[in-house]
Amino acid sequence: MRNRQIPRGLRDLLPEEVKVMRSMEKKAARLFSSYAYEEVMTPTFEFLEVIEAGRGSRREDLFLFMDREGGILSLRPEVTGSIARMASTHMHDADFPRRLFYTANVFRHVQPQLAQYREFRQTGVELLGAAGVWADAEVVNIAVKLLASMGLERFKISINQLPIFNSILDDSGLDAEDRSLVRKLVEDKDLVELYRLLEGLNIEDDLKDTIAALPVLHGGLDVIHRIPYVEKNRNASAAVEELIKIYDALKIYGVTSNIVVDMGVLRNLDYYTGLVFEGYSSDLGYGLLGGGRYDNLLGQFGLTCPATGFALHMDRLALVLKCRDEEPDHYLVGGSNYQAMIEKSEQLREQGYIVEMDLGKHSRDELEKRINGKNNWTLLYVE
Amino acid sequence: MQQEYLTIALSKGTLLKPTVELLKEAGLPVSGLSEDSRNMVFTYEDEGIKYLMCRPTDVPTYVEQGAADLGIVGKDVIVEQAKDVFEMVDLKYGYCRFVVAVPASMKDKHIRELNYRRVASKFPLIAEKFFREQGLQVDVIKLHGNVELAPLMGLADMIVDLVSTGRTLKENNLVELVKIMDSTTRLICNRVSYRTKHENIQPLIENMQEIVKGGDST
Repeated sequence: MRNRQIPRGLRDLLPEEVKVMRSMEKKAARLFSSYAYEEVMTPTFEFLEVIEAGRGSRREDLFLFMDREGGILSLRPEVTGSIARMASTHMHDADFPRRLFYTANVFRHVQPQLAQYREFRQTGVELLGAAGVWADAEVVNIAVKLLASMGLERFKISINQLPIFNSILDDSGLDAEDRSLVRKLVEDKDLVELYRLLEGLNIEDDLKDTIAALPVLHGGLDVIHRIPYVEKNRNASAAVEELIKIYDALKIYGVTSNIVVDMGVLRNLDYYTGLVFEGYSSDLGYGLLGGGRYDNLLGQFGLTCPATGFALHMDRLALVLKCRDEEPDHYLVGGSNYQAMIEKSEQLREQGYIVEMDLGKHSRDELEKRINGKNNWTLLYVE
Repeated sequence: MQQEYLTIALSKGTLLKPTVELLKEAGLPVSGLSEDSRNMVFTYEDEGIKYLMCRPTDVPTYVEQGAADLGIVGKDVIVEQAKDVFEMVDLKYGYCRFVVAVPASMKDKHIRELNYRRVASKFPLIAEKFFREQGLQVDVIKLHGNVELAPLMGLADMIVDLVSTGRTLKENNLVELVKIMDSTTRLICNRVSYRTKHENIQPLIENMQEIVKGGDST
């Protein structure tokens, strides 16, 4: 029965699930619009070069195919790269700062399991052409407000400044390969391997201690004081200063109760350059949203321009959302005189009710049984 | 209010005894904790701790999916399962190592001479990855047990297996040609739990690091 199978990692969404998805989209669009973000749509697939300009040459998780002229195409694994390409073509300096948002399905060749799908829906914002603390804070604030507006109760957003990590590593004199290894170990919190690797390195002890401490530095703003080595590095100190300012700006927005500083958040995409952040709910073992500053990405397409943004993994959030939207009242209209039934039904619909008309001339008893136990359903039997 | 538990997945089998001792030393409740009982979940309400008794190979799955916040399991299992979990503490006990072993008659061969050979293993992922990193191509044959039998019966030229003392190898006239990696027991953590239950988990991690540093917990 091959004709009833669907490819691994894909799924059908039934009405109940689509309701949740659409409700999230509506709330997200309302929130984003209130911050003057405008919706855009980009193509479902792009040239591979466009995708690689953004996230480097990591191809394992891409769905690739050829067009008839021999170009290599990729289903989009995310939308940020496409928006960067679009902005560099269609927008000009005078337009900036420009606030954009999107909702789109993206495709990644991951191992399918709970909360890991090969096609899933993202919604997100990009703030193009704005650098600095206030732009970063605006976007993080929107991320917090977004999760809160969906009715999610217990969640945290972890923030970090990538330049702290990068400038500390600059001092270590490690080659590119070791650097990316250290980065991966810190990101994965593989403390065992990290300590082993550091032991064998010929670098200052307090630098070693600082790198070793990064993955577990997690908490309020005070964790910054636990990396003393930072003072020895001008770039790292500047990045710390900026993190403090961003945190203060988030205080003004009133969202710091959901913010955690986590030096282990590095995001594994190559394009991030500044503040990075990730959102988690204690009800799901996987991250819900992620984003950060990517000041060099638009330059890949010929438009030098700072930018920041994030994307929410909607399919994952749907797994943990408990509250459902209120629906308008439903009527089930039955009877045997279709003209009268149609007239009555249309009347009710105009008043804003949802009306299902019975097409099978069922008796009043049968129809009563059908709505029995269903919330906010009323039977209207037209004699 | 619903109590928020810290859930820890434990490996049944040989690791359990030293694990229980470690938990006791770390000040966690262990009374009645044993795999002989029918019980698979042990709940300690006062301390807010839950243990799950799992097959070792299932521990990384429970932790990755967030069904458990923490897990105690061998590095060998973590590597072969290739799950996305945080590896927080090397608990040092349960030592063993992955090796490539060959029949004694091949003991003077260099690993490079093993290209295009067949290798039998319970750990196909580790075997495959090791040879690929050496730039070698081999056929990996997945077996579920008694891997030592494969070279004897001509099913494979060599094996990749886990050894602790090396006795089984010797009994089957096999010799260790290359060590792939060492393995000890690890404390692993779910990516999200580490952040959402940080105030409970971090002290536990530091506590265990101290215990491991302080003495031999085996």
